[in-house]
Amino acid sequence: MKQHPLCTDCEQNSKVMDMPIPDGLKREWATLQTRRRFLGRSGKVLGWAAMASLFGEAALRGDVRPGGPKPAVPGREELKLPHFAPKAKRAIYLFMSGGPPQIDLLDYKPNLTAQFNKDMPDSVRGNQQLTGMTAGQSRFPVAPSHWPFKQYGQTGTWVSDLLPYTARMVDDLTIVKSVNTDAINHEPAIMLMNTGNMNAGKPCLGSWLAYGLGSMNDNLPTFVVLQTKTNPKENNQPVSSRLWSSGFLSSEYAGVGLRSGGDPVLYLTDPDGVDREVRRNMLDAVEQINRQTLEEIGDPETNARIAQYEMAYRMQTSVPELVDMSKEPASTWDLYGPDAKEPGTFAYNCLLARRMAERGVRFTQIYKRGWDVHDNVTGVLPILCQETDRACYALVTDLKRRGLLDDTLVVWAGEFGRTVYSQGGLTPENYGRDHHPRCFTTWMVGGGARPGLTYGETDEYSYNVVRDPVHVRDFNATILHCLGIDHNKFTFKFQGLDQKLTSPVPAYVVNGLLA
Amino acid sequence: MLAWATGCHHSQANAGAGRHLDFNQDVQPILASRCFSCHGPDPEMRKAGLRLDLAEFAMKKRPGHPDAIVPGHPERSELVKRIESKDPHHLMPQNAQGEAKPMKPEEIAILREWIKQGAVYRPHWAFEAPTRPAVPAEPDGWAKNPIDAFILERMKKEGLKPSPEADKATLIRRVTLDLTGLLPTPAEARAFEKDNSPQAYEHLVDGLLARATFGEQRARYWLDYARYADTYGLHYDNSKDIWPYRDYVIRSFNENKPFDQFAMEQIAGDLLPAKNLDPLIGSGYVRLGLSTNEGGTITEELRVNIARERTEAFGATFMGLTVGCAVCHDHKFDPTTQKDFYSLSAFFNNLDEKPFNDDRPVWAPVVRVPKAQNASAYNRVLAQRSELASRQNWMRQHERELVERWLASRQNPPRPVSTDRFAVRLRLDEGSGDVLKNSAPNANPASFRATVLKPEWGETTWLWPDFRMPSSTRVLLDQTGDYERSQAFSSGGWFMMRSAPYFAVEDKAETLISKMDASQHYRGWDLSIRKGIVSVELVNQAPKEDPKWKDPKAKEAKEPFRYPTPQDLTKKDLSANKPPEQQKEEEKKEKKPEKKKDDAKKPEPKDTTREAAIKVSTNDALPVAGQWKHIFFAYDGSGRAAGVRIYIDGKPAPTHVVSDSLGNATIRTNAPMQLGWRYPDENPAKQTRYQDIRLYARAVGAEEAARLPFEDYVAEVTARPSPQWNDDQWHAVSEFYLNSVDSSFRQVSGEIERLDAQLDKLSDGGDLTLVSWEKPSLAYADVLTRGMYTARAERVEANTPHFLPSLPKDEPPNRLALAKWTASPDNPLTARVTVNRIWYELFGTGLVETTDDFGIMGQRPSHPELLDWLAVEFRESGWNIKHMYKLMVMSATYRQSAASTPAQMARDPRNLLLSHGPRFRMDAEMVRDIALQSSGLLVDKIGGPSVKPYQPPNVWEQVSYPTSDTVHYVQEHGDALYRRSMYTYWKRMASPPNMDAFDAPMRDVVCTRRQRTDTPLQALVTMNDVQWVEAARELAQRVIREGGREPEKRIDLMSEILLSRDAPPKMAAVLETSLKQLEEHYARDPKAARALVDVGEKKRDPSIPEPELAAWTMVASEMLNLDETLTK
Repeated sequence: MKQHPLCTDCEQNSKVMDMPIPDGLKREWATLQTRRRFLGRSGKVLGWAAMASLFGEAALRGDVRPGGPKPAVPGREELKLPHFAPKAKRAIYLFMSGGPPQIDLLDYKPNLTAQFNKDMPDSVRGNQQLTGMTAGQSRFPVAPSHWPFKQYGQTGTWVSDLLPYTARMVDDLTIVKSVNTDAINHEPAIMLMNTGNMNAGKPCLGSWLAYGLGSMNDNLPTFVVLQTKTNPKENNQPVSSRLWSSGFLSSEYAGVGLRSGGDPVLYLTDPDGVDREVRRNMLDAVEQINRQTLEEIGDPETNARIAQYEMAYRMQTSVPELVDMSKEPASTWDLYGPDAKEPGTFAYNCLLARRMAERGVRFTQIYKRGWDVHDNVTGVLPILCQETDRACYALVTDLKRRGLLDDTLVVWAGEFGRTVYSQGGLTPENYGRDHHPRCFTTWMVGGGARPGLTYGETDEYSYNVVRDPVHVRDFNATILHCLGIDHNKFTFKFQGLDQKLTSPVPAYVVNGLLA
Repeated sequence: MLAWATGCHHSQANAGAGRHLDFNQDVQPILASRCFSCHGPDPEMRKAGLRLDLAEFAMKKRPGHPDAIVPGHPERSELVKRIESKDPHHLMPQNAQGEAKPMKPEEIAILREWIKQGAVYRPHWAFEAPTRPAVPAEPDGWAKNPIDAFILERMKKEGLKPSPEADKATLIRRVTLDLTGLLPTPAEARAFEKDNSPQAYEHLVDGLLARATFGEQRARYWLDYARYADTYGLHYDNSKDIWPYRDYVIRSFNENKPFDQFAMEQIAGDLLPAKNLDPLIGSGYVRLGLSTNEGGTITEELRVNIARERTEAFGATFMGLTVGCAVCHDHKFDPTTQKDFYSLSAFFNNLDEKPFNDDRPVWAPVVRVPKAQNASAYNRVLAQRSELASRQNWMRQHERELVERWLASRQNPPRPVSTDRFAVRLRLDEGSGDVLKNSAPNANPASFRATVLKPEWGETTWLWPDFRMPSSTRVLLDQTGDYERSQAFSSGGWFMMRSAPYFAVEDKAETLISKMDASQHYRGWDLSIRKGIVSVELVNQAPKEDPKWKDPKAKEAKEPFRYPTPQDLTKKDLSANKPPEQQKEEEKKEKKPEKKKDDAKKPEPKDTTREAAIKVSTNDALPVAGQWKHIFFAYDGSGRAAGVRIYIDGKPAPTHVVSDSLGNATIRTNAPMQLGWRYPDENPAKQTRYQDIRLYARAVGAEEAARLPFEDYVAEVTARPSPQWNDDQWHAVSEFYLNSVDSSFRQVSGEIERLDAQLDKLSDGGDLTLVSWEKPSLAYADVLTRGMYTARAERVEANTPHFLPSLPKDEPPNRLALAKWTASPDNPLTARVTVNRIWYELFGTGLVETTDDFGIMGQRPSHPELLDWLAVEFRESGWNIKHMYKLMVMSATYRQSAASTPAQMARDPRNLLLSHGPRFRMDAEMVRDIALQSSGLLVDKIGGPSVKPYQPPNVWEQVSYPTSDTVHYVQEHGDALYRRSMYTYWKRMASPPNMDAFDAPMRDVVCTRRQRTDTPLQALVTMNDVQWVEAARELAQRVIREGGREPEKRIDLMSEILLSRDAPPKMAAVLETSLKQLEEHYARDPKAARALVDVGEKKRDPSIPEPELAAWTMVASEMLNLDETLTK
């Protein structure tokens, strides 16, 4: 439920700083206390409250502007985060929306070839509920992968021919074959993956991180969401702002969309006929009047407003700089390939993600839709892999070259896997795959993850996990761990409960995945 | 808890000592936040068998445990020992990981003192009906009405003083914004300034309450509380037709409809007597929530989720409780049990709707709103219909008495059907497992087994909790039904074809009962349905596809819904909306995932089998999905098509002969008889529900066939005394009585049908809107273990939570009863929750800050007596909405200046004690509306379909499903750009971005409190959105034209327009300096000036020189972006 986060906590405190009120208010309060000092300073006033609201607390701690006044605010200290030394300071989440078919990509099942078009044994299927799309099939014929697999790297990891670039970096990856989820359809599954809950109203991973860890920069959002242009050949399940919503956390922690067409951030560009000088003059006038209002009325919100306009002005410069790739060297384009020059492609978004990592964006999530391959797997899957495989490799390699991979966690995952049995007609040339929640394959790489590891195992039909299951909640707990967060301690009181990303059923950090 | 906000009396460790403690205010919050998660109402989480939320359990002896609480003796109470313990293993409370989380000293002190004072428990404050408290004496003469007396008393207690009254400019601006969502005009502000009469303010308020914009402003809030949006919110996120509900809300507030009536109409308007359509339109409230048509969705899961969504919404909107917490387990803090939740959900589980919305804007039940010129004629007929319906409702309410009287009279007793040559009877009421009993007399075999996939039991109820065959399930009935052409036989039963998006009506036969071998030229017999046309076939041999077998008379079944859904919904109404652009074939994948392209490439060789068969089909299509239908046929053994009769719901159905070429050929086959398939696996009737399936080895005659659907069963039930009947049996008997025995009920039904036809005609061409419509069946639900739709634990009837007043007596437990309960004077929540929200709207924070949670974990009211006083006043005023708004805005509390002093800020930084007036940033819609209004752009039309004003490109496209009807945002032009923001089209999966930036909710769920953040994204909207830049230019034009030549005058006018007062000298000085700079700038750069003033679709005034207009446009933008402008 998107609601005011105030006061779900009945604790009684005597001091403002100990009160169960949001950080923002405390900061404003503290700001107000010291406003005379602030306003007395020459030059532009940095708006502490608004800055913290969108850009985190680094500035408040004084490490952005060493000369600036030390804030009177305790900031995030009360969250006591990170709980331990983080391996990763930031994360990039490559979200493969639709549910990639693990059997055709990384979960190698050589014995299936002999099973072509044979009925999958009932004993394997067990009492698994089927989706409405295949619940009516009279048969569940096995569809082996159309593509050969080969072994790569020191680890000898099996990878499909569809992923030649991913194959090159297997020794760096932590491949998890045993992720499993509770939901069998897109909407609940994608919500569960992102928010730990199938129903709307809970904050997503990125919002939790923005809330808990704050920002590492003072001119870009903490949590950015990138949409990849859709390809009409693919089955593009929808996404929605629910997935990057802050739920019951303050909406200042929601993901900010960075767009490939038009304004990179909505409404970022000044209107035609308004240049930077005009904008500066306009803002100066607004600020002078607002300061007057602040003196007269004494409402801390006015102070926040002053800061909010300053920050908007800074964003108008920093965001275009971020998306201006003209200064990227030739080696970048060699690495990412020609697609990366076209705004909105997955490759372009990966490059943007690297640029944001450099600039201290805490969490970037790239959505790539189209993985919902109910039919025509042999027609569509090569396209999907072509769009993503090289870019994933390029991003990881680029981060590595720049020394960023050590403290950046990159995660690749969809919301569920796909069935071994064919949906619809099965021929030697083609097949379809339905949703499958019981096992799917993800990978991660970088800060905190153990390189060159394949974790978990599925049965010979890639239908059930037979070793080391990793539930979505465990997966999220592990991601938080890499960022220095104990998922059990990282809570927010809402509706009387200590809410957390991994609620409500117990979840466990998968130590086997950690470096 | 205000304690902390005010400096506060719990700040010392001895906080509790000596003071008389109030359980609700002082003690319960500590117990709730510290203890209840392990020692509260939820038995699953309870540790050591200790429960502290209720006195009877807290004081109870627990074998092997010391007493937790010994009243009067803290030192002997284990609770106190534990919270004071020095041993970390012993110390309480502990978190889920078993780590000790010690209480604060002041909390310990309070619990000690409370036990010392006798450990008196009181019921939770919000669950006791409010009584009107005495108004405190107020000797200072500050108070203007009782509100102020309560506020001042508390303020004084905390050492605060009220602020002086705000100046008139501030006051008129504040109250006009609050009551209408718009600014006062400069003329209004001046008139108010000049009016020195003592009633000036009251006149102003009365005038504002009478404006139509009052209803719009109230509706804007209510739409958040009701989760109104223009799309379904999931998957395709297609559009839905429900904006007439929005206009109904506006109308209701403007009519000052009493709130009890307003509430009842929304909860159960379809069950209320009606003189016009408003109650029914209002009942659209129930159906405002998220819904889907996603292909893979499992029907039962969806059905359960829909009822759950409505229950949670009802809890939040009307009860102010987080009942959803009890979906999986008993509520951890509130006394809401899981059973309470599902009992409440049962009210919303009995709507005459299919769970899937078919991705079309018209998701039946819907009503067609007559056009204005037909409204009065329509309403006259509707009133008659309503009168008749209430007569029927009366009979339903008294159905049990009527049934008893009927049976006692021994007139027209129900007669059973003869059991002569009764071969198979599958009642399918086993309720679990996969063994299906054959309950025909002397049945052989006595049971059958369902294989492949287990059947699903008891999801809905008809004669009894039902049986559904998932499509892969097989029910083989072996060689029963092995008859020769010359043998008479009859078969059929109750069927409900499944409704699910993927199983859309297909153009092929779906088998209900069959003994036919598809691999042997279809030899055998079967009963099937294709697009609503029922067919019986007796076959010796037949080709797979013969043109003749394609029923030429097959026509689309009509929507099954009665009134309120008009019968003549056009094809256009019913078709799924197409995206605005042509969709490509390959984008349709999910719709038709089973389409086998490869198969299509290789057509099978033509089947040239000569036909020898009988086929008889009905003429009229049945509803194909979601309705129970009794389908039965009899065959007389003649070998001729004329020997086949089909009965639908016991009545002979008009039929036609498709084939009559069987001759003397045999129809015997070794294929097994089965339900839902033709052997081996052809023509499945996917996901069909079955009850009371029968096979007779004789031709059942028309007279007996009429008794098969109900009478035979009713005879069986009534053979036993009525006290032994369960609810389902009562229901079956009552339905039979009303529809078949008591002619008066049937007669009324006939009259209603006649009126419905008139209503249909009179509403021709009108707009459609989703409404609620109750089924005649029992409202019930199943308690679901851990909320899993498959884990049904216990069936419960509709009921209200056990800790609140019970349902009105003599009412059948349905939504109407719930509506009456909600609006009853005994209900402790409705009035409190509602006045609290009114308070929140005006003052920015509720008296109970958690406007959606009046439960134990919710905030305690800052002014409990005032809240109760207001609640009682509301109720006793006849639930008079305008009265309550007037009362609040007339108070001295409301009229105070918003300026704060450092002392006030130190004492009460959030102004919860209201020592100064309310001041906060306006909501998204208001912010945009005043920009439109001040510039003169605002179009003040009320209501109508939602509009699509300016929006940046690609906001919808980048998230939507490619074949959604909301994949492309097609911006409108003209007036649509300048309507009030509440009319902007609200797509749930991508809400209007310029409002989203200002914390407008997604409307996925009830929102009773918006967030109020300040982010740079907001500044970007108000500086750069074309809507705002255009408004700035229009405002500039306005002041240039109306403000005279001197810049100071123009600035004053702009200030008057936006702030209701002249610009103060400092502001004016800043703006004039800025103006000079801008004038110079644009004089130097006329190209930039032109670019700026050409913004938007509204043609600018060409008579104003471009550089001048550009400079003023930026000055207007400065004014529009002021903190003061954006703040009320």
